[in-house]
Parts: sequence; C-alpha cells; structure tokens
Amino acid sequence: MTASEVVTEGECEQSAPADSDARWIAALSGHGPEHQEALRRLHELMLRGAEHQIAQMYHTLPKLGTVRIEDIVRQSADEATVAVLAKLATFQGRSRFTTWAYKFAILHAAVEVRRNMWRHREVTLDLLYEPYAPGASPEQVIAASDFSSAVSAAIDQGLTSHQREIVLALLVEDVPIDVLAERLGSTRNALHKTLHDARQRLRRHLTAQGYLAASSPTEVNS
Amino acid sequence: MTTPRHRLTPESARRLTLDTEPWLSCEDCFEQIDIYIELLLTGTRDQHQLAMRTHLAGCNACEEEARSLLLLVAAERNIDAEPILPSLASN
Repeated sequence: MTASEVVTEGECEQSAPADSDARWIAALSGHGPEHQEALRRLHELMLRGAEHQIAQMYHTLPKLGTVRIEDIVRQSADEATVAVLAKLATFQGRSRFTTWAYKFAILHAAVEVRRNMWRHREVTLDLLYEPYAPGASPEQVIAASDFSSAVSAAIDQGLTSHQREIVLALLVEDVPIDVLAERLGSTRNALHKTLHDARQRLRRHLTAQGYLAASSPTEVNS
Repeated sequence: MTTPRHRLTPESARRLTLDTEPWLSCEDCFEQIDIYIELLLTGTRDQHQLAMRTHLAGCNACEEEARSLLLLVAAERNIDAEPILPSLASN
C-alpha cells in the first residue's frame, strides 16, 4: 500500500482531531462492543502503518515472497497494537492519536525488516578494523594527509576497544542498530549512548590534533 | 604503520565525527517523535527541537522512522512533505 492510498481512509478520521482522540482513548480504555470496534480500528491503523513502513524499506529487503512480507506486516501490526494498548495511559494529546499510534507501527515494522535484512548475515566485530602498528608514533599518524586518515587514527588511539567495535559496526559496516543490539544482548539505547560517547571522544581527540575547531558547531552537519 | 583494513570514506569520517550534543536517547526520541512531526507539519520550528534534530542527524534508525512517520502523516493530510524533509534532521 502506498502512502497515497492511505490518504483516503485516513482523511475521514481527521475531521475533529481532539474529539476523535478522546473517543479513541475512551473506547480503547472501555469494555464491550465499542471497545472491540476500537481494537479492530486500531489494528487496521497499525496494518496501515506497517504496510507504509515496508513500502518505504522495500528496496532494502532481500527477495522475499508476498507471503513472507504479509507475515511481517501482520506480525508488526500485532506487536504494535499490543504496544499501543500498553502505553495508552501515556498519550498526552500533544499530537493526534493516530500520529502517536502510527509511530509504534513504524517502529515495529522497521525493526522486523532490519532483522530480515540481516537474518543470514554475520557481524564479526573482531575482523572489522586493522589498527595501526603498535609502534606507530603520534607524529607518523598525524602525518596522514586527509581527515579520513586522521579519523582512522583517532579511532585507534582515542577509543576503547568496545567503542571502536560499536562505531565501526554502526557507521562503517552499516549494521542496523536494532540488529547489533540483538546480537550483542544489548539495547538500542545503550548502543546509541556508546556511539555518542565515542563521537565525543573522537571530536576531542581531533580537536586536540587541530583537525576540528574548538567548540565547532560541526561543519559536518548538513 | 599498518594500513587499516577498512579505509574510511569522507562520508564515514563525517558521520563518525558528528557533534551529537545536546544528547537525546533513542527512547526519548521515540517518546517525542510524534509531537515533533506534528510541529514540522504546522511549520513550527524552535530551539527546543535542537536535541531532536541533532539526534536524528546522528541516528540512522530513528531518522529513517521519523522520515517515514512524516511521509505517512503528511500524505493523510494532503500535505506535500518534500519541502519539510530537509529540516527533519538538520540544525
């Protein structure tokens, strides 16, 4: 389903956002036929969100058959529906309910797609990077002619081995963070914190070496 | 000096040295992303969104999901998302 196909159905539900949000919450929090109908509509919303996410990532998927893709959509929508219901009390009305709910569908579908992309691929952290020879002096390393080489040296000299493994896996090998978290028995949050700390270390190292200006608002952000 | 097995491309070097302050966790990003997308769709942009924009600039997964949410919600409201996309993850 393309995003444009979603528009027709979605528009019908957006005419009175605040009232609509209140009705969603009341129905999903309640009991009886109205609750069951709200559950059905919520699941439809999650299917729509999951289908949208699959469509966005389709070009990255290995050749999967229609049945497998439908399985991914259905599983993601099921998980997202459960997640929405578990977090219902946290909805504050600062966005529309449908926007808030869609993010669960998108997250679950994206994670499932990434898992499928890497299902048969190994992540061998110990083979990712060959460091500079132990005897290389700072002067030899700094003699590197370009920024990329300087960053390579900073990775070797300025990071812990754990930080090195994580940044290279995430940013050089492009291992999806959810996949890496699963393989390492970690979490997306923890890995992103490691990445953040490593970046800060690299920046301090490169600033000290003169490759970055002090307190630069990063010339690399575009 | 041993040549690194993996030479860093300029793009890799850029991503590795992004300034990702102020810090925002992936969990907090997820908590706020719907609000952020709604603000973008209404043309609202302020300094309080700096942490979110910075996080999205430095986290591929969160940026991908945010972009997707923006496209989905914009399509449902008949809003052209293309002009908004460049501001999703930039300062």
